[in-house]
Amino acid sequence: MSNIKEQTLSAPFTWASTLEILEGVKVDEVGVKDRVSSLATRSIKRESKLQALNYIVSMCDLTTLEGEDTEGKVLQMTAKAVRPDPSDDEVPSAAAVCVYPSLVSTAKEITTGTNVKVAAVSSYFPSGQVPLESKLLDTKFAIDEGADEIDIVINRKSFFEGDYRKVFDEIVSLKEACGDKHLKTILEVGELKTYDNIKKASLLALAAGSDFIKTSTGKIPNGSSREACYLMAKAVYEFKLKTGFSAGIKVAGGIRNSKDAIRYLVIIKEELGEEWLNANYFRFGASSLLDDVLKQIRKLKTNAYQSSYYFPRG
Amino acid sequence: MTEIKKTYKNYVGGSYVRSESGKTFTVELKNQNYELPLTSKKDLRDAVTSSKKGYESWNKLTEYNRTQILYRLSEMIEGNKESYIELLQEHGLTKAAATKDVDNAIDTVVWYAGLADKWEQVTGNLNPVAGDYFNISHQEPIGVVFTLNSSDVSIDKTIRSFLPAMTVGCSVISFSENNSVISLKLAEDVNNSDLPEGTLNFLAGDFSKIIDDVSRHVEVNALALYGKLNKENLKTINENASTSVKRVFNLPSEEGLSSVLPFIETKTVWHPKGR
Amino acid sequence: MNSWEYSESIESDSIVSIQSKYGHYYDGGFTSPKSKEYLKTVSPSSEEVLSSISIGNEKDVDAAVNSAKEGFKVWSKTKPIERAKYLYKLARLIQERSREFAVLESLDGGKPIKESRDFDLPQVAANFFYFAGWADKLDISWGTKEMKPYGVVGQIIPWNFPLLMLAWKVAPALATGNTVVLKPAETTPLSALLFAELCDEVGLPKGVFNLVTGDGSTGSHLVNHEGVSKIAFTGSTSVGKYIQNATADRDIGLTLELGGKAANIIYNDAAIDQAVEGVVNGIFFNQGHVCCAGSRLLLQEDIHDEFINKLEKRMQTLRVGNPLDKNTDIGAINSKEQLQKITSLVNEGVKDGGQLFQIECELPTKGFWYRPSLFTNVQPSYNIAREEIFGPVLTTLTFRTPEEAVEIANNTEYGLSAGIWTDKGSKILWTADRLDAGVVWANTFNKFDPSSPFGGYKESGFGREGGRHGLLSYLKVKS
Repeated sequence: MSNIKEQTLSAPFTWASTLEILEGVKVDEVGVKDRVSSLATRSIKRESKLQALNYIVSMCDLTTLEGEDTEGKVLQMTAKAVRPDPSDDEVPSAAAVCVYPSLVSTAKEITTGTNVKVAAVSSYFPSGQVPLESKLLDTKFAIDEGADEIDIVINRKSFFEGDYRKVFDEIVSLKEACGDKHLKTILEVGELKTYDNIKKASLLALAAGSDFIKTSTGKIPNGSSREACYLMAKAVYEFKLKTGFSAGIKVAGGIRNSKDAIRYLVIIKEELGEEWLNANYFRFGASSLLDDVLKQIRKLKTNAYQSSYYFPRG
Repeated sequence: MTEIKKTYKNYVGGSYVRSESGKTFTVELKNQNYELPLTSKKDLRDAVTSSKKGYESWNKLTEYNRTQILYRLSEMIEGNKESYIELLQEHGLTKAAATKDVDNAIDTVVWYAGLADKWEQVTGNLNPVAGDYFNISHQEPIGVVFTLNSSDVSIDKTIRSFLPAMTVGCSVISFSENNSVISLKLAEDVNNSDLPEGTLNFLAGDFSKIIDDVSRHVEVNALALYGKLNKENLKTINENASTSVKRVFNLPSEEGLSSVLPFIETKTVWHPKGR
Repeated sequence: MNSWEYSESIESDSIVSIQSKYGHYYDGGFTSPKSKEYLKTVSPSSEEVLSSISIGNEKDVDAAVNSAKEGFKVWSKTKPIERAKYLYKLARLIQERSREFAVLESLDGGKPIKESRDFDLPQVAANFFYFAGWADKLDISWGTKEMKPYGVVGQIIPWNFPLLMLAWKVAPALATGNTVVLKPAETTPLSALLFAELCDEVGLPKGVFNLVTGDGSTGSHLVNHEGVSKIAFTGSTSVGKYIQNATADRDIGLTLELGGKAANIIYNDAAIDQAVEGVVNGIFFNQGHVCCAGSRLLLQEDIHDEFINKLEKRMQTLRVGNPLDKNTDIGAINSKEQLQKITSLVNEGVKDGGQLFQIECELPTKGFWYRPSLFTNVQPSYNIAREEIFGPVLTTLTFRTPEEAVEIANNTEYGLSAGIWTDKGSKILWTADRLDAGVVWANTFNKFDPSSPFGGYKESGFGREGGRHGLLSYLKVKS
């Protein structure tokens, strides 16, 4: 698996140009649904399916974000990320593990010397309802602990209050704090609700310097959706046209089976193109998805349906 | 037969005009002879030009406004009721029959006047399409309509040959032959009823002289033939009409909602419903 | 760089059984042609001969019309609710056998299986369901009982949506109490022949549905048969004009659904990404073999470059190939003749000075194929901007103001459909009011529904199909 991309947006977009792209945002909900449901009819079989499943494994951010998380739990999960299927060498490692800042150093114990990255959620995930100073502290702590990637949440309070400038400025500050660490910005699309909001928030996050935009914290019922992923892909493409910068997308929240995950891959392939089909540009945030994908891979290879007890606990 | 000749002109674009050819024909009634213009091909073309303008003006008005103007027409006819009765008697009708015809004509105008702002509510509708779409079949007038009046001596019939098309917003060129005196007299009331110029035009003459031209004229959107034609003429009309897929209605309904249906184009508009 | 290609995912054609030879269908059964002549129907994606179908001559047509006359005696006395039930049963059977029909449509016509499966067949069933329900409600459909069926209806349908056009024609005709002689297109008769079998299966009284296959001469015999009191035709404007001319001396009902050259107007305040999708769907759906296709792209000047850039990128993702592959977006061109027509019009466009973009893709070696194509730098006077191409070829024109957009849109003898894309509601209504088109899609395109009337203004024909208005095409006012 290739390393995290070197390229990062050289300087944040100015507020004036950001405002301009936000004002241009127009989305037709029914048209989006139409296109997304038509992409869902792609029939992915045989070799292309196996290839897709391996991609998905390599794009997984194995995630645990619970109050009950312990070092033991994180060690188990990280070991699984490094070697998801010990009985099959062809199955790649996951892209990363995603944990709370206090558990970053634990995960690092296992990932050091592997390709697996450690991502920490910060900025008072999942609500983000604290002053910027606290968010910065949270983030700096995670980086000091050794996090390779930082997942933050946008300020939805400010977004809904119409204070886009504050949303933008906070991301800019957090990006600064991240330095060369990769910044993934969570939009929480299930709260934003409308497609206009999702597209606006995507562009806002990109203009403020995010390396990735991410659908959801996974802490609300309707976390990710293929429609949101599609809109984010459209935003990423538009932003690339304007700046030349290729941002990544992470979908997280409610993606539980291979079939669904493959449909996300189809969206990325057809809307953005092949160069997005790797962990540098596309990720799945998931806890239970990986097992289903592993089962499917083995099913394709053995032609027998599998049980999860064949695969180590994560 | 007296020697007095009364002259009527065509009514085109809100003006009384002679045939540019100068030709006339005579209709002999009981006590009086009428000299009427024999419409030429050029007269027809002029009438089409006027009707196109009339179509635009008529359509610019609100339906409410059109209703009032048509109702005004009924008032005008009512005001001149006696003279119409006399004219019909001149054509050979009994006083009773003539009176009945004029009464019917007034009622007909009142009926259509009231339909002018309602027809779309009964001919158009929302369509319950599957999916998140708003879908409505909106109705539009077909455009410039040429009507051939029946040869019956009747004001009511004459009115029923142009009002259905006008009610839905078309402009009309109304052509009459041997009963032209009736329509050309009607022109006087039409002229006083605030109808925009060119909305309703009356021509008199011999249909066979213009049959070829009118059925070929691409800017005439539809032909409504209330007068009965022989097979050969009908064939000519349909053949000519086919060159521009012109709508031809042979003996269309003269009453009720079905009378206006030929003059409507259905435009169906789709729009998604989303946030 | 990764590459993730979709593996072939072929819908099996083992579900269909095609006979080597077919007769006509009338008097409740299949009969060998009196003409003793046959023509071959070919799969446009493989050039393989699928079957031989009968060519109907004057005698064949006469027999079918007589069958329909006899059928009318029974059908006109059949209780409306019973007519409804037959149509409901047909709808159900079509649903049950939809996979078979879908494969047959794709084999015989070349359209992608995803369209025949997800669009044509569901719409076919929906049409029978919809019109079944009208059969016993004609008295309340237009608030008058003064309507009656024509009797024997002759129906001639095109090759672009073979079974769907059959449904559009047959369902309302039977619901209103008429009987039918249907003539399917020369290149796509197979689904109609299978439909005839279903009529047997539901026990439709004999003579109610009749089918004569053949070529243009067969259609001409049907049009000229004195026993036919109504003709419903979908096809080219030139044939439509021929029919209007040929029936000039008869008191006959006529519905013509003819060609189009629809403008798809994109204002600069549109949701551009969805507009791009709508434009793609508008012209590349069914290989562009769609009379209402949005074949003229009208772009507001200031968004021209951005839009064309996005459109070309999107076009490049279209997958051209085997119609039975579930991932195929663009199937085969329906026939060699059609391919030649498209090719020659495009060549003319290039010669005139149009700039041509075609996607890069491999085309199968056998069969008839055409790359999705986009013309820019086109003047309204070029033939490619005026003539119906009926293929996957889009022509771009530009405008500056809404007035100009409407003027260009209406500057054609056609008036079937149009598209409007803008985020501004009042501009949609303003524009829709001014377009001479029977169907206006605003912020969407190529949507169809049995309840939604379809049909043209001007030389795109007259009469409507679908919806309550569609009933009027098969009922005449009693006199």
